[in-house]
Amino acid sequence: MLTKRLSLVQAVLMAMALVVVLFPVFWILMTAIKPPTDWNASPAIWFPSQPTLINFKTLFDPAAIREYGVGGVSQAATDAVFGSILASVTATAISVAIGLFSAIGISRYGNGSKSTPLVILSGRMFPPAAIAVPFVIMFSTIGLIDSFTGLIAIYVAVTLPFSTWMIKSFVDDLPREIEEAAMMDGRSRIGAHLTVTIPLIKGGLFATTMFVFILNWSEFMFALVLSYTNVSTIPVQLAKYVTATAGTLYGVQAALAVLAMVPLVIVGYLIQSHLARGMTFGAIKQ
Amino acid sequence: MKDKHETIDEVLAGYDAGRMSRRGFLGKMAALGVGAMVANAVSMSPLGAVKAFAAISGPEERAWELAKVAAAKATKKTLTLLIPTGSIGNMTPYVDKWKKELGITLEFIEEPDEVVHTKGMQEAVAKTGRYDVMMPTAMSYPDWIDSGVIYDLTDWTEKYDPELFNPDYGVVFPASHHAQLYNGRVAGLLNDGDQITLLCRADHLKNADKAKKFEDTFGYKLDVPKTWSEYYTLAKFMHDPAAGFYGSLEYRSPYYVKWMFMQRLVSKGRLYFDGEMNPTFNSEEGVAALEDMLAMNEFLHPDAFSFTWSSNYNAFGRGEGFMNIVWPSGFKYSKAPSTGPATTGNIAATVMPADTLKDGSLLHAGLFCWGYGYAVSKYSANPELAYAYAQWMTSPTISSDAIPYLGGYSDPYRVNHMLKPTQRLKDTYSPEYLQTLYDNMVNTVPDFCLPGGFEYQDALDKQVHACMTGAKKPKEALDDAARVFDRITRRIGKDKVKKSWLALAKNLAEPIKKAAGVDTW
Repeated sequence: MLTKRLSLVQAVLMAMALVVVLFPVFWILMTAIKPPTDWNASPAIWFPSQPTLINFKTLFDPAAIREYGVGGVSQAATDAVFGSILASVTATAISVAIGLFSAIGISRYGNGSKSTPLVILSGRMFPPAAIAVPFVIMFSTIGLIDSFTGLIAIYVAVTLPFSTWMIKSFVDDLPREIEEAAMMDGRSRIGAHLTVTIPLIKGGLFATTMFVFILNWSEFMFALVLSYTNVSTIPVQLAKYVTATAGTLYGVQAALAVLAMVPLVIVGYLIQSHLARGMTFGAIKQ
Repeated sequence: MKDKHETIDEVLAGYDAGRMSRRGFLGKMAALGVGAMVANAVSMSPLGAVKAFAAISGPEERAWELAKVAAAKATKKTLTLLIPTGSIGNMTPYVDKWKKELGITLEFIEEPDEVVHTKGMQEAVAKTGRYDVMMPTAMSYPDWIDSGVIYDLTDWTEKYDPELFNPDYGVVFPASHHAQLYNGRVAGLLNDGDQITLLCRADHLKNADKAKKFEDTFGYKLDVPKTWSEYYTLAKFMHDPAAGFYGSLEYRSPYYVKWMFMQRLVSKGRLYFDGEMNPTFNSEEGVAALEDMLAMNEFLHPDAFSFTWSSNYNAFGRGEGFMNIVWPSGFKYSKAPSTGPATTGNIAATVMPADTLKDGSLLHAGLFCWGYGYAVSKYSANPELAYAYAQWMTSPTISSDAIPYLGGYSDPYRVNHMLKPTQRLKDTYSPEYLQTLYDNMVNTVPDFCLPGGFEYQDALDKQVHACMTGAKKPKEALDDAARVFDRITRRIGKDKVKKSWLALAKNLAEPIKKAAGVDTW
């Protein structure tokens, strides 16, 4: 592996960039283990004098934080965590699966007209706020409001342009000759795609999946306007930690944010080699 | 199928018309779930049965009788409330009673408070019927009524009389009008007396050295400020940044800063519009209000530009300032040892300072800002039950019980809450502060409770904030806000907004109306 020593200037710049990127993460982590008295202290408390897991406990037992004299938390985050996992995982799987086949169809067979990719992308050309209300009316009419089916459907609709375009760029960069060689060896068209195309763009698929998952996982507006009580997600739940007796519950919010980061960090770590490859796939044109 | 309530009305009317015997009347009323004592008293009343049924008991009992009838006929046994996050604590103590005695499950859908208005407007187009009761601020009523998402409650209030305007235990005038009515019709029932008052540190006022130094310097006794001029003087005198102690903690942060301006503007005898909907804040008084605020910036807490209500209350509770402009909840924060370790037992509260008018007279004006209330969704499956809940919760008796519960935003709003408080209300707020709330509330001017109210207020907020940060000069900021106001008025329709504005303006305290010239409009 090629290693390169950084110059002092590069190292300093790199360190500054890291501080900028990692400081919010550090602050969230520290706030998540602070007792309520430290959340909003002035001057700010950098490291909690008495670290506690009370904020995490409050996520699943709203009454727990009463031991600190803070009342008014009425909802556990359990439903929101479950809702985020269900909606994000399902919507990501569907979006990437449909995007994959759309991408192969467009890239290899020229399905649709030349404008098809643009038509698919056009779904992303509207600001989400502009299409939220029509979706509310439509979903109310067909009974999909406040349901996971509805939320997953809209997540797929919103992320499909991304997955299609991203995967298409990976497929475009893969020489057709490799698939043709597989077919000369007796593979069917589908077989060639399953055994050659998809394995060869695996890094790109992982990168796309990760990207789409992050979009779904952090989505706020649609989850807010399309939900009442049956459906909740982590970003919506985060906005609800305000009480009359203690104001914004920064510690509990931070604890939920830490939980929200966990799957992204784990998945990112597990597929980091694919991610690196996926991110650079197609960087060098044929 | 006729509903039971119609039948009650028919039975009452029928009895008055002599179409049934007393025995038959009592039997029918019992069958409809009306208690024997009530039915008996109604049957013998010289007022006649219809009037007697409405008058025999207080708002709570009338609401409960209606709730019993409506609950019995309801096919959906759940009453769903859209409420702002953080407000649930005033409502949860009654969940069991509604379940056990009426068979009605109270379900709460909590949304961030800045989202409640939007959720209501969303329901206007989605028509899901998911909500029965909605809890917005008074600023939402015009848009919600106009969009058809909530009921005009007037017919119900006339029938079941929640006694909103009773001088002894009604909602304090003028909040009774500006926080509940839209164009003279009842749009919602107030459940939260949000107004701002001024808190000072009593321990510093009592400090003999400071008192002497102050009197020697300024020639009058050290006390809570009675005018904005005294407020400035006190802030300057008490300001000690080296000790982490600041003159005052009022807000300069986006979203909150408009209220600081609006308060000063109304203190100077100006309202937001004239009788023809021309903005009046970009005037000599408006500029002076902004200049007063700029002058105060020197003596504010360094976090003033980023304060939210909770960070502001916490800073004051930690003892980081001499004065603070707060909602009633701020007093509760400062009074409680857990949230006000430095302020508990050390608070001197007063009405908002007065300002001197051109004729030399003093004008006391307050600001009623925010203030939640109950509205009934047009798409509710059980609107009468929803109304009954709203009247019951806001009745003089139940509200006195509900307000002191922790974990809710509800603050005193009825006359009896402040002038004839229960022991729990006294324990929560103190008799002195309840009197202060009353004295301040009678002079309040409301938020922009008009069609497009949130748009007006946001436009003003942006410009006031721009002025506070130095991005714009006072006159420039206010002229820019006035231009946006004119555009909003044109878009919504001048006649429509004007009608609503005149209805608001005519129901203000007389000195404020006189100073603003409302009587000449």
